[in-house]
Amino acid sequence: MVNFNATLIAQVLNFLILVYVLAKFAYKPVVRIMDERKNKIANDLDAAEKAKEEAEAVKAQYADKLANAKQEAQAIIDNARKTAQAAHDKIMAETKAEQDQVMASAKEAIALEKKKAMDDIRTQVISLSMIAASKIVEQKLGSEEDKKMAGKIVDSIISK
Amino acid sequence: MGNVAADAAKEAAHSDEIIHYLTQTTFLGEVNMQTMYMTWVTMAIVFVLFLVVCRNPKMVPSGLQNALEIILDFLNGLMEDNLGSKGRKFMAPFIVTLFMFILVSNELGIFLPQIGVHWTSPTNDINTCFALSLLVAFSAYAVGVFKQGLGHFKHFVSPSPAFLPLHLLDAVTKPLTMALRLFGNILAGEILLIVLYQLSPWVIPELWVMFSLFIGFVQAFIFTILALGSYALAFASHDEN
Repeated sequence: MVNFNATLIAQVLNFLILVYVLAKFAYKPVVRIMDERKNKIANDLDAAEKAKEEAEAVKAQYADKLANAKQEAQAIIDNARKTAQAAHDKIMAETKAEQDQVMASAKEAIALEKKKAMDDIRTQVISLSMIAASKIVEQKLGSEEDKKMAGKIVDSIISK
Repeated sequence: MGNVAADAAKEAAHSDEIIHYLTQTTFLGEVNMQTMYMTWVTMAIVFVLFLVVCRNPKMVPSGLQNALEIILDFLNGLMEDNLGSKGRKFMAPFIVTLFMFILVSNELGIFLPQIGVHWTSPTNDINTCFALSLLVAFSAYAVGVFKQGLGHFKHFVSPSPAFLPLHLLDAVTKPLTMALRLFGNILAGEILLIVLYQLSPWVIPELWVMFSLFIGFVQAFIFTILALGSYALAFASHDEN
């Protein structure tokens, strides 16, 4: 069972042939694909890391922009509200002033009309009372003093 | 082939041994033909394994490519540790072939009755085991001289010349033990398997087959590790320089 013979030499040759054939045709392609895959995975990981960083940066940028836009929008709204309030206040003030003016002029006109009407009435009453008095006393009362006296009497009546 | 079968029958009749090597006289001298046939089968299997994967290696591996890449990656890691990066590039084809050859050799002998032919492990022949261990031993010296010049042999007298006898003993016993360990394990496994089949046709031999598969892997692994140890000397001191 244990006898050395030329098989030993033949086995050395066999093995060396196998080493040569595998090294020549088989080993290199497998190792190459393994190395390629290793590099590819490393590159992909790097790229993924880079892409992630870029995405983070863009996200931060967008968040900034969004915050700015919100602030701007708020400013615009505040501004508009302020303008509207001012316009409202102004219009209200103007309206009030106009209203006051209208009221004042109306009151003035009324007072004027009233005074004019009172004067008219007074004149009418004086001449009427004179006519009535002259008729009553059947005496012509035409002098200035009569008129003055009648006026006094009328005034005292009206003012009563 | 009829001739071979007749020879086998004659040898079997004349001997009481369980394992038959079908020894024939050729131009090289006496050669164990059974070992030669099985070696060629082993070489073909290893070559076809690599060929199937290498003909169309894919970026995303699957099946056989995956299995082969696991082995290659494992061996590359071992070589990186023992030989360094330069040593790995230089020795990789040899070490990978060594491992694959011994692994396939060891597992071949397990398919004994199932396939109907008399298959044995090439490594059940002491000639194969010594061929491999002596090849490793002498090629380690060759690689050492190739990488470092004759200064490579300085490690025989380090750290002092007093260690020369120890180093010489180591140089002799290392290939001896490597060969005998592999030979003994595989031959014993096959003989036990034959005996177990005579004991019981089912169950018990199958349990031993499972264990033999594991032993075949472990022996291939041990042989490769020890070979790496021999080559490490050729590269380690080189890296220090």
